[in-house]
Amino acid sequence: MTALLEVDDLSVAYGAIEAVRSVSFVVEEGQIVCLIGANGAGKTTTLRTISGLLRPRAGDIRFDGKSIAKEPAHVILSRGVAHSPEGRRVFARMSVEENLLLGAYTRKDEAGVRTDMNRVYELFPVLGERKQQKAGLFSGGEQQMLAIGRAMMSKPRLLMLDEPSMGLSPIMTQLIFDTIKELQQQGTTILLVEQNALAALALSDRGYVVDLGQTTLEGPGHDLLADERVRAAYLGQ
Amino acid sequence: MSRFTGLIPLALVRPFNALGGLLLLVAAMLPWATFLLNDGPFPEKSTLQYFDAPFELTGFRWHLLVFGVVALVTTFVPLRGKDRVLRALGWGGLVIGLVCGYFIAENGGGFGAITAADGASAFGSVVAVLGGLLLILGSMAKPLDEIPEWPTSLFGLTGMAARLEAYAYLIVAFAGVLWLVTQTLTAGGIGGAAFPYAGPIFLAFLGFAGGLLGALHGIGLTRWVSHLSEKHRAFSIIVLLACAFLLPFPFTGAGSQYWMQVAAVIGVYAATAIGLNIVVGLAGLLDLGYVAFMGIGAFVAANLSGAVASQVGLDLPFPVAALIAAVIAGIFGAIVGSPTLRVRGDYLAIVTLAFGEIFTRAAQNNIGELTGGASAIPGVPQVTMFGTAFNEKITLFGAELPSGVLYYFMIVLVVGAIMAVFANLKNSRMGRAWIAIREDEDAARAMGIRTGKAKILAFLVGAMLAGLAGAIFVHKLGTASYDSFKFLESVTLLAAVILGGMGTIPGAVLGASLLFVLPEKLREFDDFRLFFFGLALVFIMRFRPQGLVPDRHRRAELAGETAEGKPIETEEEQAVLEHEERGHAGPSAPKEDRA
Amino acid sequence: MTTLLQQIANGLVLGATIGLIALGYTMVYGIIQLINFAHGEVFMVGAFGGLAVYRWVLPESVRGDWYISLPAMLVGGVVVAVVIAVLMERFAYRPLRNAPRLAPLITALGVSVALQEAIRLWFPNADAAQPFPRVFIDAQVRLGDVSIPASGLLLIVVSVILAVLLQTYISRSRMGRAMRATSQDRDTARLMGVNPDRVIVLTFVLGATLAGIAGVLYGSFITNVDNSIGFQNGIFAFTAAVLGGIGSLRGAVIGAFIIGLIKSLGGQYMPGGTQYDYVWIFVVLILVLVFRPQGLFGEAERVRA
Repeated sequence: MTALLEVDDLSVAYGAIEAVRSVSFVVEEGQIVCLIGANGAGKTTTLRTISGLLRPRAGDIRFDGKSIAKEPAHVILSRGVAHSPEGRRVFARMSVEENLLLGAYTRKDEAGVRTDMNRVYELFPVLGERKQQKAGLFSGGEQQMLAIGRAMMSKPRLLMLDEPSMGLSPIMTQLIFDTIKELQQQGTTILLVEQNALAALALSDRGYVVDLGQTTLEGPGHDLLADERVRAAYLGQ
Repeated sequence: MSRFTGLIPLALVRPFNALGGLLLLVAAMLPWATFLLNDGPFPEKSTLQYFDAPFELTGFRWHLLVFGVVALVTTFVPLRGKDRVLRALGWGGLVIGLVCGYFIAENGGGFGAITAADGASAFGSVVAVLGGLLLILGSMAKPLDEIPEWPTSLFGLTGMAARLEAYAYLIVAFAGVLWLVTQTLTAGGIGGAAFPYAGPIFLAFLGFAGGLLGALHGIGLTRWVSHLSEKHRAFSIIVLLACAFLLPFPFTGAGSQYWMQVAAVIGVYAATAIGLNIVVGLAGLLDLGYVAFMGIGAFVAANLSGAVASQVGLDLPFPVAALIAAVIAGIFGAIVGSPTLRVRGDYLAIVTLAFGEIFTRAAQNNIGELTGGASAIPGVPQVTMFGTAFNEKITLFGAELPSGVLYYFMIVLVVGAIMAVFANLKNSRMGRAWIAIREDEDAARAMGIRTGKAKILAFLVGAMLAGLAGAIFVHKLGTASYDSFKFLESVTLLAAVILGGMGTIPGAVLGASLLFVLPEKLREFDDFRLFFFGLALVFIMRFRPQGLVPDRHRRAELAGETAEGKPIETEEEQAVLEHEERGHAGPSAPKEDRA
Repeated sequence: MTTLLQQIANGLVLGATIGLIALGYTMVYGIIQLINFAHGEVFMVGAFGGLAVYRWVLPESVRGDWYISLPAMLVGGVVVAVVIAVLMERFAYRPLRNAPRLAPLITALGVSVALQEAIRLWFPNADAAQPFPRVFIDAQVRLGDVSIPASGLLLIVVSVILAVLLQTYISRSRMGRAMRATSQDRDTARLMGVNPDRVIVLTFVLGATLAGIAGVLYGSFITNVDNSIGFQNGIFAFTAAVLGGIGSLRGAVIGAFIIGLIKSLGGQYMPGGTQYDYVWIFVVLILVLVFRPQGLFGEAERVRA
């Protein structure tokens, strides 16, 4: 297996406040990797930096062997990194279809876009049934499906999902996690940020614990699940 | 500046500085023009024909010599903040060189006039520009030093002794300010046909004054003085007023009728600018029709003071008329400000603009027979108090003071009073509420500030000050015409406030002075005045949004720095955008101060 | 009755002009929440661009043929307007994108004053009003008792067509979608691969194109132009955009026609006559801001910017 994404001693700051101090991790092709950690640990900042919304202060980010640390967001996306942001952030005043088309904004193959759109509708039938409705009218879980579907539309090699289960009912959460697994089986590499550490680690090939802006622990998902420190800190056991 | 940090290697700093200082010094002694200019020799004996002795220096050449010597000394002595000093001296030298060089070249037949032609050579301006550039480059090697802090008492005194020591410093400092003000006012003399060199001499003097102040700021002196004066505010105000009262006396050189005229007009605009600064600088509400309030004050005062052309037929004493003018302007201010209850800043800007236009249109059409329309209201009588009309000459302490001096005195008092009001307001409950609204209106409301009331009050106070200034203005001028209160006057006032520094008193006064003195000095550029004001707004916002005198009590809201306690979303947003911007700047330097 | 109809016709012509300008205001505001004060000046330089083409580019022999001279002048006006708009976006507004709100607003004001003055100073003789050729068919179209100059009718028709085209472009095309996405949530739009800088430049270009066309057609309608036409019409257009609900294209056009009617009817029937006609526009502006700040077609959330 080859490393698709390598984050190397990353540090990011908002003005004087250092949100990420020293985060390092590797995502292998075809894996699901999750970052877990408390609120404010720097997970979201890490994802936003990878996708080019923020600029690192130090450290490097390599995708497929090439540094993307200094690229603007639209270039990073066209390299094959899609990011479904925290809080879903669907375009509320646009229809489902328009949201998905925006996900495919950088693609030129119209036929392929159609195919992929139908694939999203198959995966999430509720979206297919209401494709002309404004996204703002959908429930939280449905919006999450739309956000994931939208991120898939760019045909990414790496899909980054930030808190996909946030605010969702247990049933909906299960559905989302099933979908993530299915996406992996179809060949997409996934980087997941989750507060629901239990479910996330169970799903993941590899997990990293981020604490106060640093990666402190790492290991295969099941090992971390069994780790005493992780259980104490994040699983409430 | 940080973008240029590291432009030159550290090892070159000292050679650059030394050479820069030396070049300034040499420039002072070189001839500056190969030709005799059409309007007679360029002053300060810099034209070749009049260049008899290299050491007989006056005017800008004397200034350059001082800069050069100071730069040389500063280069080789250890001094905290020296890179700022050298940078300021460099800018000063650069400005002097550019201004004089450009003027000579423009008037004396092109580039040859400032280099070599017809067997004569005159490289003065070129050398000065080079020297200035070297000094500026030298300051770019590394980030600038911190401005050093000075102890309150230099001799470690306490109690009464320290107080007296501070008083002594303040007197010296304000005497220095008085000297600089008179020099600035009179530099180049009266512009226009009378003296064609007024413009370049004045601009070159500004280069000197700016370099001097910048250097003093660099070693921490200005900050220290302002700290002292804040600590002893009452004493400072007294000394400042005393200095202002000394200005018209003959020994200052500014005591002529003409300069009193100019100083009085500047005073009126300074008062108005302070009022505008309450609205824009403190409360963060952009008012684009501000001059209309001044106009309302002017027309009210004109109608109440027995102007011949007035249809009202009242003849009230000046203080009463001025008070009524201020109150009526204030009422209009509150009315215009009232939409702020519902809408935010940038919409409000349009409402105020609309109001200003309505006012101009109404005044132009002689609304209610109150404004005289296109023929204005002429014959507004002079202010008379204690049997003396304010445009008469007076004798004070054995010195004969020029006519118009009483208006000047009155305006000094009014500006002083307005300054006091502003300073108190700024530190009051209401002042803090305004600043909170400016920073974040939602947060201010969430903290229980009644934002609507505060905003309307800002408008009311600002409009009252403008109304009062208008009342003085119209008496001084003797005529009330709608022409004096048009949109572009509002723009000029706004430019003054922004140039000076939003939210600061010295800033508003300095800005108003510069923007209203410059046209006096640069008559030949009068046609370009507004064009340059427009460009100035753009450039100030881009490169120095905090203005010449930044408000250090708060983060300069326009400088985009981060304040403590701001919600993280905002900062995040900032960082994001910063990145976006840097994305285009190519390879990114590590993040550091962007100010 | 005839007077009323005639004034309505006049109002519609004015409305068409400011509608084209208002679209630029509303688009820019929708994307970067900036009241681009200088947009009125873009309209003004557009008119002068068209005039320059007429004076110095078109040979004497074809000036009379409107089907040659009008398109040439439109191209000239649009090119000048677009160049100015792109330059001001790049050098005045873009560096301030993360500055506090007041900064770009003041910059816009500065750009506006500088452009007005630049035309007055450097366009030959433009310190006084300049005659503008009536390039389009110089005839009155009579509808019953009402007569409208053909060039006025052209303004109305062109303005409606352009508004419809623009609306279609923004709601159907890929770039239009990117524009709407950027205006709703710039960060997320970036995650979709949208380059906000390109979108913003495109917005300025579209706005300037409409303003440039409006400038030339307006000039040929009123047959003289000076450097203040942008300031006045710009304020009217902004008022129209606010009235219609800033950010809404349809609102801007409808608002503009309403404003045009208010001005012509107010000048006819309200006390004070034409001397005070534009006072009524501002009265409407203030009333709208106080009682329905989101405008006629705006969404409430937009206004709280």
